[in-house]
Amino acid sequence: MDGTVPATTGSVEPGDLDLLRRIERRDEEAFRRLFRRHAPHAHALALRVVRQAFLAEEAVQDAFLALWRDAGSYDPGRGSVRTWLMGMVHNRAVDLVRREESQRRRVEEPRLVVLEDPGDRVVEELGSAEQGARVRAALANLPPEQRRVIELMYFGGLSQSRIAEHLSLPLGTVKSRTVLAMRRLRDDLVGMER
Amino acid sequence: MRDHERVEVLLAAQALGGLDPEDAELLARERAEHGPGCEECARLERGFALVAGNLSLALDPVPVREGLEDEVVARALGATRGTAVARPVRWRRLSMVAAAAILLVGGWVLRDLTLPERPTGPPPGFLAEAEIVRFEGEGAGTLAVAFRRTGPGAYLLGADLPAPEEGRRYELWLFRDGRPTSGGCFAPENGTVIVPLDAEVGTAELLAVTIEPASCPDAPTTDPILTADPTAI
Repeated sequence: MDGTVPATTGSVEPGDLDLLRRIERRDEEAFRRLFRRHAPHAHALALRVVRQAFLAEEAVQDAFLALWRDAGSYDPGRGSVRTWLMGMVHNRAVDLVRREESQRRRVEEPRLVVLEDPGDRVVEELGSAEQGARVRAALANLPPEQRRVIELMYFGGLSQSRIAEHLSLPLGTVKSRTVLAMRRLRDDLVGMER
Repeated sequence: MRDHERVEVLLAAQALGGLDPEDAELLARERAEHGPGCEECARLERGFALVAGNLSLALDPVPVREGLEDEVVARALGATRGTAVARPVRWRRLSMVAAAAILLVGGWVLRDLTLPERPTGPPPGFLAEAEIVRFEGEGAGTLAVAFRRTGPGAYLLGADLPAPEEGRRYELWLFRDGRPTSGGCFAPENGTVIVPLDAEVGTAELLAVTIEPASCPDAPTTDPILTADPTAI
């Protein structure tokens, strides 16, 4: 749900959906607010996938420009504004990685997300901290072989066939690990949308 | 009731961006067979999309570069008004030349340890906005650097460059306040160089290339063979 988020001063910070509706009407200030709210997470995601600062910046810029251009195409029934935006960031980052893959097959180990004890992590924003801890806990809760597939695919930008090759596994094994992990994550993360 | 197991397997990979092209075709066919109104397909897709969207929260946020917000807003407003953010025409033309050269050249050139981890061709948005300066100096071949005036990110683009002697590399230097810092070592492959740099070329006073030992020293040990002035654009 894209509800409003109470601020500590008693004022009300507009929710993502409100901002998106204003962006549809070409409200620059709403666009800036949404950018400030989500760009750091979008940047972190893009950076993790593409691993170069300026390419990550490119992915973030493209995603926000697409959001500005196509704000009206957002469908609340398919998830929050944040989910939609992060999907666009991820798609663009993966496109950049795949383009490179088609030019030069890489053999080096993709950098993986570090799964730390959620209690050890400090995130500035309380909401993000709680949600981040929950996602990390859900990932940590996966069997290691399933978690590895998810990490390589989502954070490493590898396709299932590349993961199979990388881990020397049958493609069918990668596919079954993927769906088993996603079912479990879905169950663990239910109700996280806001 | 239809069996959704195959669709579920495909949708899980699609949500994570890991679907291979042939499986993407298979998913499209399956979805077509199930029809656009298949509620179970929609439920599965929505559920996995939510998982994927939330996975990004596992990462700590990373602040974006100062000034990026203004640049994105300027590009958005420019697009709305139907006017691209202005770039000098001659650089746009050079960018197109560089893009064409890259398409012709194709594959990748080696990089050394000092260069970034994921070498890739310039993304389309990069070249469209890049400024390009050509190196001048002794020797055969051509070398240029495409860069953005603000922020990190640049590409070295070279053609017909002679290979350095055995055990030697070209090394790029960026001068600021008269002092050189290494931009990394590189070697041409069949005369060609396409190397991404994670350096802020736009803030350098001068660029220089020397031939150095393969160890890629932190300070130049030979005289420059090529120089370029990024401030002259």
